[in-house]
Amino acid sequence: MRKVWRVARTEYLNLVRSKAFLIGVFLMPVLMGGAIALQALVGDKVDLRDRRVAVLDRTGTLLATLEEAARFRNEHGIRKDGVQAAPRFVVEDAADADVASLSDRVRGGDLFAYVVIDEGVIAGDEGAEISYHTQTPTFRDLPEWIRIVLNGRIRQERFRAAGLDEALVERLGRPAPLRQYGLAKVTSTGEVKKEKVDEFAVFGVPAIAMFLLFALVMMAAPALLNNVLEEKIQRIAEVLVASVSPFELFLGKLLGTVFVSWTLSLLYIGGGLFVAGHYGVLDRVPFPLLGWFLLFQLMALLIFGSIFSAIGAACSELRDAQSMMTPAMLIVMFPIFVWFIVLRSPDSPFAVGASLFPPATPFLMLLRIAIPPGPAAWEIVVAVAATALFTVFCVWAAAKIFRIGILMQGQPPSLRKLLRWVRAASE
Amino acid sequence: MDAAVRLTDVTKTYGAHRAVDALSFTVPRGSIFGFIGPNGSGKTTTLRLILHILYPDSGGIEVLGRAGRRAANDRVGYLPEERGLYRKMTVRRVLAYYAGLKGMGARDARREAAAWLERLGLAAWADRKVEALSKGMQQKVQFIATVLARPELVILDEPFSGLDPVNLEVLREVILELKRQGITVVFSSHDMSKAEELSDTICMIYRGRKVLDGTLEQIQDRYGMDTVRVRAGGGAGALEGIPGVQKVRDLGQVQEVRYGGDPQELLKALVARTRVERFEVARPSLHDIFIRIAGPAAAEEGDGGA
Repeated sequence: MRKVWRVARTEYLNLVRSKAFLIGVFLMPVLMGGAIALQALVGDKVDLRDRRVAVLDRTGTLLATLEEAARFRNEHGIRKDGVQAAPRFVVEDAADADVASLSDRVRGGDLFAYVVIDEGVIAGDEGAEISYHTQTPTFRDLPEWIRIVLNGRIRQERFRAAGLDEALVERLGRPAPLRQYGLAKVTSTGEVKKEKVDEFAVFGVPAIAMFLLFALVMMAAPALLNNVLEEKIQRIAEVLVASVSPFELFLGKLLGTVFVSWTLSLLYIGGGLFVAGHYGVLDRVPFPLLGWFLLFQLMALLIFGSIFSAIGAACSELRDAQSMMTPAMLIVMFPIFVWFIVLRSPDSPFAVGASLFPPATPFLMLLRIAIPPGPAAWEIVVAVAATALFTVFCVWAAAKIFRIGILMQGQPPSLRKLLRWVRAASE
Repeated sequence: MDAAVRLTDVTKTYGAHRAVDALSFTVPRGSIFGFIGPNGSGKTTTLRLILHILYPDSGGIEVLGRAGRRAANDRVGYLPEERGLYRKMTVRRVLAYYAGLKGMGARDARREAAAWLERLGLAAWADRKVEALSKGMQQKVQFIATVLARPELVILDEPFSGLDPVNLEVLREVILELKRQGITVVFSSHDMSKAEELSDTICMIYRGRKVLDGTLEQIQDRYGMDTVRVRAGGGAGALEGIPGVQKVRDLGQVQEVRYGGDPQELLKALVARTRVERFEVARPSLHDIFIRIAGPAAAEEGDGGA
């Protein structure tokens, strides 16, 4: 055990002292913050060129409505804080034109789109429609705007034709609002309180917890692959296993990685708590969740650290390792693919299954625990037990592969050979 | 005899390939033991077996009196054939780490490392990263890592390959110094002349099997005094057709002759033919003995990992 400790300590110091680690520590939040900032920045960058639309109006009345609405919108509706925030819509009468020449004008860039309004749309005739033609169907603002403007006018026309007072219909048709609350709580005075849904606690905390766990595991575990591979390529492994058993070496490396990841936790969670304290919102920090976080972090690191070290030990070249990485990365990415499904419906059979059966359990169970009211106690017990068993299995199997692979050179083994290594009688 | 290493009928196979075949030998404590044979004859596999990096299919291995696996590894220093150092670590840290893995205390390791670095002229490089060192310097660092934790047994796999003459001399001196301190040294080499110079005891293997072992004198005695070194007018041609000449190894200026009868007869025959400049009755070289045992084809065998 002393040697395991010695390996872990050196691995830890080597990693923590490296420039890459220091840069990574600062880069992760900077990148995440940067991505959000970039999105906010790019979100404002709207293409402000005029959108010219030709209208072939067969009703004879709707064109004027559209022209009037466009004029009003261009004067009052496209400015935000005094600057133009949306493109102008320019409506053009195309009564004498045919669709072929209009299409040519769209192709030539002179027009953005053209619209054909069938005669029967006001009466609501079967098959009558407003057809919108463009080369840029991804720009949704213009057709949406046309739909709303024309339908408002068409409704007015239909009410008038039916002799109804539009204001009255509007009032009678007003929907009742639906607002979301938590469960009722009875206070000590017997008063029943309505609780508003805390969006941060319901969506923010689970998402932050899971993605932070994912980031911390991914910042530490894949490094083991390169680390083991380098020792193989540089022939350091042989020197090491002459002093420590391959299992001690493997365990030391895993522990070193766990310590690195825990150090990151300390930095980020500590930093987060500090910021929360600064803004006086410490009471909104879910402290019990921190305990689960650290437990699942440990298990995730042991599972994925084992997988990545085994790949490193089985390969002799970076190229081979990269091709073996792909299936491993799919397993690793699984929680990222499904987290939103679990968040939306945390007690669905899929969510329960995925959070009870490894290897995604550390991430998905943490996510479910973080979503109020949380899973049943037995589910947590089963998930932790299953994950712990799976962790032991991964470490055991990876140790076997590591023991044989670390001294092998040349061709990487086939899957069948890897399985034989795992099954091989222990030393 | 007190043995540092004792192998009894050790066999190790890789698939169908028998890397080591029923090998037995004993390394006396405090001696320099040369383990020789051409490349690919099973030397590295045997050394890894002694270190318990590999496990034999059958047979017994006892190291420093312990038969248990790895039990004695902390008292064994190992220099692998392919050097392995962390390129991004400083020399001092690598040495401290390797010594620590042998169970040496940090302060003790620091002091010992400083002394060795001083001795091998690397003191100024102690805080540089390994990758900044020349290949020769890295080899010295690797050697220090091997002997730093004061092992009782030092195992050197091809320690002389790739060394320049100056470093070769340094290494020879250090090995002799280790012997004076009572440390057992086992080294492997495909270069038989190196083994001849240094070893107290020699074990020669070929294709995984032991073909010869014992002290140099014992071996040479066994193979007799039938070798004669000759320098004569006409070179190798002068020896042709003389009865009793079994084999001529032409070294250019000198010919090494294996002669079946009394060397005096050979001298007479030669003098009758040509002018003799040098005539020496010698013991056969290890190389010569090896060829005799393994056949001429063995000398040509090279490549393929040992």
